[in-house]
Amino acid sequence: MTNVIEVNHAVKTFRAHTAVNNVSFTIEQGSITALLGPNGAGKTTTMSMLLGLLEPTSGSVKLLGGAPTERRTRDRIGAMLQEIAVMDGLKASELIDLFRSYYSRPADREYLIQLTGLSPELLKRNAQKLSGGQKRSLGFALAMAGDPDILFFDEPTVGLDTSARRRFWNEVRNLASQGKTVLFSTHYLEEADREADRILLFDQGKIVADGTPTEIKRTLVKRSVTFLTEQPQVVTALIAEHFGSDIQTEVRGDQVTLFAEDTDDVLKLLLESGPAIRNIRIDEGRLDTAFEQLTHSENNETREAI
Amino acid sequence: MKNLTMKTWWMQSKAESTRMLRNPYFIFWSLTMPIAFYFIFTRLLNGDMPNAAQWQAHYLMSMAAFSVMGASVMTFGLRLVQERTQGWSTMLRTTPMASMVYVAGKMTAQLLLNLLSVIVIFAAGWLINGVQLSALQWITAGLWIVAASLPFLALGALIGCMKKVDTANGVSYILYMGLAVAGGLWMPIDVMPSFVQNIAKWLPSFNYADGAWAITDGTAPSMIGLLILFGYLVAFMVLSGYVRRKQEAV
Repeated sequence: MTNVIEVNHAVKTFRAHTAVNNVSFTIEQGSITALLGPNGAGKTTTMSMLLGLLEPTSGSVKLLGGAPTERRTRDRIGAMLQEIAVMDGLKASELIDLFRSYYSRPADREYLIQLTGLSPELLKRNAQKLSGGQKRSLGFALAMAGDPDILFFDEPTVGLDTSARRRFWNEVRNLASQGKTVLFSTHYLEEADREADRILLFDQGKIVADGTPTEIKRTLVKRSVTFLTEQPQVVTALIAEHFGSDIQTEVRGDQVTLFAEDTDDVLKLLLESGPAIRNIRIDEGRLDTAFEQLTHSENNETREAI
Repeated sequence: MKNLTMKTWWMQSKAESTRMLRNPYFIFWSLTMPIAFYFIFTRLLNGDMPNAAQWQAHYLMSMAAFSVMGASVMTFGLRLVQERTQGWSTMLRTTPMASMVYVAGKMTAQLLLNLLSVIVIFAAGWLINGVQLSALQWITAGLWIVAASLPFLALGALIGCMKKVDTANGVSYILYMGLAVAGGLWMPIDVMPSFVQNIAKWLPSFNYADGAWAITDGTAPSMIGLLILFGYLVAFMVLSGYVRRKQEAV
């Protein structure tokens, strides 16, 4: 597979504030990648550099082998920005015609009309009078106007209702299967987990994790075992003796929770040489927890560094 | 790519013209107001002027100039600020359309609409007062009013650099009214105090209308007036270019 996006040691500084700090990654054609992170993590700044709206302070950004600001490049990308602006005084259908005239190989007009999900009456209405969700759907159609190879969506589903959201992601998956590359930013953890093939986790201007949703969970989230026992102290002592500080323990009355990467090992030890335990439950760590753990540890490191 | 640029420019001009025509403010300020003023000041008041025919022709030129100047200063500048603050310009920057084509489309639409305003206002003058000019005078006066409005478009572009819509709105309104009154578009500068008259001679609005007045009198716009207008055009362009570069640097 070919790389359609290449970011090399990109840094973006605004006066004293470093919004993106030495970020490097490549994106394969046909993939759906999520830029995930809390607000202010550098997702939008990264996306703005990819779109050529911001010049990196240092480092380089390449789309389809060229600079994002080149006309040739822009002819092959489509974008939906965080704030959907719609020119006043024009109808949705007129905006679609206008945007199609910007590109050398515009997408089929009927297809774009259908993408907006707007009824014939709404298409004839002043686009500025559409609701937030309708504007966003129109924004999606405008992003597709040039039949782009790469699509950028900055927080694409904010303000969309459930059915519009479902329609949006179905179409995105359909586009990816046609070989189009999709990059989107989100702070909805479930969305990144569900929709992306790959997650780039951003925090404080850096990529702190990179992998498939499953990989991110496996490497960053510890599973937990919860059970009841008459002798919690004996259990914690046994765990401490065998695993040291690798395993965190939490005791609430006679309920014990152990956080471990390999829950099998823990259970084996407890069942073979520990006190009696019952009501055993194993919990798969969720991405939100991973995310919290990550940002927390990052925070701590920075605090220590200061 | 060249054909595409032409097509984009055409579509952009068409879209911008459509937007302006649908804007009720444009219709009000550019057509309704000047025509109403023309009716009031040539039919209801000043009816017994010694040189009525000349006054009616002059005032028609004043109102056409008032209309076109207003559209250039108010509509053009405000639109630029609005589109920037609402994020529309950012959206357009992600498309392959060159920013020159965007501006060219806007200017084409503005000039077309200005031409339309001039035609409508001239027709109103003919209907209301039966203003009589030779065909050549109508055409040259109309072309003058459209072409010599360039300094005001440049002023609009300068206003377009402003960060907030409210500020731009206030500033352009004050400039528009100030230039119209002090430039003698509402009433002849002869009736004003002499210090206003001295200032007026140096204002772009006075020299703009003065060119059209001269044409209706059967003479040509004065060379000095032309130079003053050209000076303003250059000054506004240099200034807005400077401000834009400064804004981009931050």
